[in-house]
Amino acid sequence: MTAVTSAGKYVVTRPASRGAAFWRALVRHWPVYLGGVILPLVVYAVFIGFPVLSTMYLSLERWNGLEAQRVFVGLENWRALFQDPSFTLSLTNNVKWAIVSLLVPVGGGLLLAVFLSSGKVHFSSAFRALMFLPSTMSLVSIGVMFAVILNPVFGGLNEALRALGLGFLIREWLEDPNLVLYTLTGVFTWHYLGMAMIMFHAGISQVPVELYETAKIEGSGPFQTLWYVTIPMIKPVITVVTVLTVMISFRAFDIVMVMTRGGPFKQSNVLAYFMYLEAFQKYRFGYGAAIGVCILLLSSIFAAIYLSRIAGEAEYVS
Amino acid sequence: MYLNPSQRHLQIPAAVLRRRRLNAAVKVVGTLIFAIVFIVWAFPVVLTIMTALKSDVEVMRGPLALPSHPTFDAFVGVWSMLNFKQMLWNSMFISVGGTALAIALALLPAYALSRFNIPGGDVIFIVILTGEMIPAQAVIIPLYEELRGLHLLDSLWGLVLVHGVYGLPFVLLVMRGFMASIPKELENAARVDGCSDLGVFRHVILPLVIPAIAVAGTLNIISIWNELFFAMIFLDSQANFPVAVGLTILKQGRYFSSWNLPAAAMLIGQMPTIILYIFAYRYIKQGIFSGAVKG
Repeated sequence: MTAVTSAGKYVVTRPASRGAAFWRALVRHWPVYLGGVILPLVVYAVFIGFPVLSTMYLSLERWNGLEAQRVFVGLENWRALFQDPSFTLSLTNNVKWAIVSLLVPVGGGLLLAVFLSSGKVHFSSAFRALMFLPSTMSLVSIGVMFAVILNPVFGGLNEALRALGLGFLIREWLEDPNLVLYTLTGVFTWHYLGMAMIMFHAGISQVPVELYETAKIEGSGPFQTLWYVTIPMIKPVITVVTVLTVMISFRAFDIVMVMTRGGPFKQSNVLAYFMYLEAFQKYRFGYGAAIGVCILLLSSIFAAIYLSRIAGEAEYVS
Repeated sequence: MYLNPSQRHLQIPAAVLRRRRLNAAVKVVGTLIFAIVFIVWAFPVVLTIMTALKSDVEVMRGPLALPSHPTFDAFVGVWSMLNFKQMLWNSMFISVGGTALAIALALLPAYALSRFNIPGGDVIFIVILTGEMIPAQAVIIPLYEELRGLHLLDSLWGLVLVHGVYGLPFVLLVMRGFMASIPKELENAARVDGCSDLGVFRHVILPLVIPAIAVAGTLNIISIWNELFFAMIFLDSQANFPVAVGLTILKQGRYFSSWNLPAAAMLIGQMPTIILYIFAYRYIKQGIFSGAVKG
């Protein structure tokens, strides 16, 4: 190994062991290691890592949050959880939420992204910017907005359906127990479609133009181009969007909180809201922790896929 | 086409012209189809603006009719009813403060993990990124206890701290990508001039990643502004509520017999991020890009 000293002379240094080299780098670059590695890891450990482990342990305890005493109860919370019909119902609702989200806003977002980048629409970037706006609005505002619109008596939606001669479609959107969950996913669609669209657009804009030109020369129609060129080329983005959508679906909370509070008859209850009720309304913190761990486990499967994508990309970047 | 006589032979054949005219027609039809999609999409917002400009009596007469006597009464009423001045300030304090902390925490890690050969660097990066994916429900109870211990419950500073920490992973993801793309030569030149690690960071890297700070910062500000769960659990007194929490009060009984008030409240509360969106759309789009394509 050769190195340049500050005087500019080449000197021969002994090849050091990896450990020694590490310590030398640590001493030489200590500010970078301190602020760039140790500090974030400590912050992570204190405010993210410890709380996660602590929640896991709390799921084995009984605690009402007020008394200092926590009682270790083993798997009692978990046993109760798996027998709780509210849990099964919430979990089912989350799964339905994920499926609807993948079909409607994600599928629709893909179609719109393809449509807008096909060059067959004027003002496509303005449309894109406007359609994306709802994704930057809070689900709380959106919930408040749609609560007014979906009101069965003076709501704009039913009124509009009546005006369009579609009166047979009029429903009690938020009061019908069989419908309420789909109404909420519909509201979520209004929020999320633009996000999916813009992510797909990001992917499509990276596809080399030559591929499309070749496809055109080969006589491929628009649907063939979509199926054989665009979709295979944006597969990584499709994976990311799918995974993100499922993760978001499993932590749906805001819309439910603002619009229905899980009702009517718990039919719009979801895991995150169920957890909030048990822990912060009924003060069953151990039980709430168990639900929290459940949400964590369910989303970590998908988080792992997402992270492996980023890790792959990280190698590519560096 | 403006061609002089000597270039006549370059004139476009009729068949090509016909195809072009057809393509132009297709484009008009495509635009119309999209305009219809867009009108359906904008319908809720238009309706909400109209509702907010009407009196309640007029809303009940017909939600779809244009406001016959537009009035800002609902805006004025809900402004004082919910103490919007305080709420907007609280939201701004939390989102700007939390974002500033997240950026401050993420700058050096992004530098270290993009330009130094740190043993286990990729693992450290992934570990920190998991922070972005952990559901709030899996940390909320112990975090509550920690904030109680730090005397930061029911305090805006507590939320700044929490959002700073939980914003770190995303800011790191964006910044690390940007920093990795800076050519090594720039850094080497500064090193030859005798810059230390931190000197290189301050004089070479930092000025070049200001756009990345804007990208990560705007998205972070918007997402904290819109965040409900942490704010709802960690804040207790109404004087500390940000807009997102304040709007949930609307649903609790006494205001909800009215229609124009919630509509007006929603518009006021979302206006700051909409303005930010208009001016920083470029950065926001780029932030989504780095989340979708690089991620």
